[in-house]
Amino acid sequence: MVRTQHPAAFVVGLLMISAASAQTDPGVRAGAINGQTGATATTPLPLASVTANNPTGSLEFFEDGLTRFQNVEVVSGGDDNGLGPRFNFNQCSGCHSQPTIGGSGPASNPEAAVISAGIVSGSTNSIPSFITANGPTREARFPFFFNSTGTAVNTSAPNGGVEDLYTVSGRADAGSCSLQQPSFATAQSLNDIIFRIPTPLFGAGLVENIDDSTLLKNQVAQGGNGLGISGSFNRNGNDGTIARFGWKAQNKSLDLFSGEAYNVEMGISNETFPQDRPLPGEETQGTGLPANCLNLSHGGYPEDATNFTPTSTSSDPAAVNASIPSDVVAFAMFMKMLAPPVQSTTTPGGATSISHGSAVFNSVGCSVCHTPTLSSTQASNVTPSLGNAAVSAFSDFEIHHMGTGLNDNVSQGNAGGDQFRTAPLWGVGQRIFFLHDGRTSNLLTAIRAHASSGSEASTVVSNFNSLSAASQQDVLNFLRSL
Amino acid sequence: MRARHFRDSRSRAALGVALAGLSLGCCVESWSAAQNGSGAAPNPPAKVPAGVILVKGAWSSDSDSTTPVPEAGTLTSRDYASPYFHLSYPLAAGWAQKFTGPPPSDRGYYVLAQIQSADAADGRIRGSLLIAAQDMFFTPIAASNALELVSYAGSHLRADYRVERPPAEVSVAGRSFVRLDYVSPVTGLHWAVLATQIRCHTVQFTFTSIDPSVIEHLVAGMGDMTLPIEAGVSSGKGGGEAPLCVKDYASGGNVLNRVDPILTDRRFNSIPVRVVIDTSGKVKNIHFISSFPEQARTIGDALQQWRFKPYMLNGKAVEVETGILFGAPPNRALISGRQEPQLVPARKHDPT
Repeated sequence: MVRTQHPAAFVVGLLMISAASAQTDPGVRAGAINGQTGATATTPLPLASVTANNPTGSLEFFEDGLTRFQNVEVVSGGDDNGLGPRFNFNQCSGCHSQPTIGGSGPASNPEAAVISAGIVSGSTNSIPSFITANGPTREARFPFFFNSTGTAVNTSAPNGGVEDLYTVSGRADAGSCSLQQPSFATAQSLNDIIFRIPTPLFGAGLVENIDDSTLLKNQVAQGGNGLGISGSFNRNGNDGTIARFGWKAQNKSLDLFSGEAYNVEMGISNETFPQDRPLPGEETQGTGLPANCLNLSHGGYPEDATNFTPTSTSSDPAAVNASIPSDVVAFAMFMKMLAPPVQSTTTPGGATSISHGSAVFNSVGCSVCHTPTLSSTQASNVTPSLGNAAVSAFSDFEIHHMGTGLNDNVSQGNAGGDQFRTAPLWGVGQRIFFLHDGRTSNLLTAIRAHASSGSEASTVVSNFNSLSAASQQDVLNFLRSL
Repeated sequence: MRARHFRDSRSRAALGVALAGLSLGCCVESWSAAQNGSGAAPNPPAKVPAGVILVKGAWSSDSDSTTPVPEAGTLTSRDYASPYFHLSYPLAAGWAQKFTGPPPSDRGYYVLAQIQSADAADGRIRGSLLIAAQDMFFTPIAASNALELVSYAGSHLRADYRVERPPAEVSVAGRSFVRLDYVSPVTGLHWAVLATQIRCHTVQFTFTSIDPSVIEHLVAGMGDMTLPIEAGVSSGKGGGEAPLCVKDYASGGNVLNRVDPILTDRRFNSIPVRVVIDTSGKVKNIHFISSFPEQARTIGDALQQWRFKPYMLNGKAVEVETGILFGAPPNRALISGRQEPQLVPARKHDPT
């Protein structure tokens, strides 16, 4: 007897097999925030020695930094003045909040709600099309300047600077300052715009305290990898040492990182970046910011400065001490003292899957760049937990060519358009958006985006793609456990 | 001094297709001319072209358009061919390059081709082949030839791998290669590395697959390769149609006239350079393996003024090529246990 099979049923059967075996990103890991007991969405944990207030007063500095990190900045007339005249958001924690304060961008994008929240005037600002309610928090950059008429790109004139999303124009506390937003629509029509999302800050103090020799030795250990990988370091142009913060490892220290972000993202001048920042075009053309948009806080420059008279009236000397530094120092101290995320050993997928995924991650070559652990940090003069500690950041802090697929045509320091710092993976299990521009929320998509022409990672991705769906799933589970 | 223009080696290989029709220098210049009212010109680049790396970091370049360089091999549906190495490798049916490799590194490492099997219906691939080269003048590994380099790799495998076949000499297409096989017990992925030395480069063929028979099939296909006579695990020092390669030739009494470049940038990168010296002792070709454009211009202008003692072989002057490292010293941690590459310290401005 010859049996006939219904074609439709056959197809359905195949689909079911495919669906059952297909690997999928488990999504944001549920459970303890950062894998830490006691952390909440608004209270990230400090390093253990800071929790123990060692040295005395350090805990107060951490908590003060956490408070300032959440301050809502205004243009003038409030407690925290200096916002703008151009900015991306008015609060550090607005964009660094997933899964808790100090993290990356949240699910609900505050940049998309600035008009409804009264942060910017809807009569003078509009929400750019690439800023969406459930999309990534972003900054925008134009890789190239436009030509003189603004109708074409001038690819011989690299730009790459941040084009702040909003202006203070129309706010009640901004006086007569009148500025237009950058030409985002034009930039989009010319394919002359790229995006960056906030980097998470957990464990940043440990990263800062890694001696260069540790990074160089790791480069040795990963040499001869046979995978087509050969990274380099982005070096500070002044002293030649290894820079390590930012998507292209362009910043040397957390103090620098903090000062630049306050200036660029929020428009607040400070002791590291003492002027209000015009847009790149305004700067290079010598026009700068119009006079009626300068010194809007009416307090002079820098808008954020050391408090020679402590702002705290507490009877606790530690609180008084913590109130003396400027905001950028307080932010940097907060970042230095933030504890790194803790890996889950069981979630998602169970301990066996995570353990196997970790081994697969190493075997296919991911760990050549995403070095699981660097050991160890220098002795620390800040707090004991920062010293002589292993750093399980899953990064070599080198810059690598990532090819045409991830290229953003922005050069920072020695990093060219397609070179990026190996993104640390600790905490990736509870992140929502991936890659430098937040283009995906799917880890599998992010992995595969590592392969493109010119990328050092293409062979590793080939190795990954040769694995069974089960092994790929284990890698995804492992990553979401971090 | 006449202006010299160093061509971007990658632009003719990896990015040649993408940039076809977008000769950037041409269009920008023409656009400026049009703006100045000096005549009709093509339209300016209205948009940033997608998928093109326009803003490059350190990259490779060279001083003329005719001398072959390692990264400028060609890949067709039939084979990979390298004029520089005088080799060709026939591709197995159904195997192709999906993505070109990155530019050469500042340690003289080249990804020459990345070849893989066609994707299966489930997205999995059967295996991949990485063809790479390490310039032995600049290798960070304590090895002076292909045999030593692969042996070093075999003895420094990470704990994730187990050696299946320790490094040993094999014959491929009539030339000596060193072969190392290893496996990842966790994934079942197998690797086979076959390497030989040509023009003082270790040229490596690294096969990867879950299925060892796939690797063996591909290794067997290497028998159809064409290779230069010099190829061998410890020979491979040029000659024949290629210049002889001589380590540290640009040193001591071999250099009759030397003009040190003055680098004014503060990038702290290593700049490995290969030069070909003709029979009269003049620099015939300069290959900047990894440098920023302004560095290439400065170093190139200086090197063109160098004069060498002609290299004599059997009483006759012959072309030689050698390596010179400019810029920052190499990673000190990388060179423990081996002789440092010849270093020409660049003079720099006071750091303050």
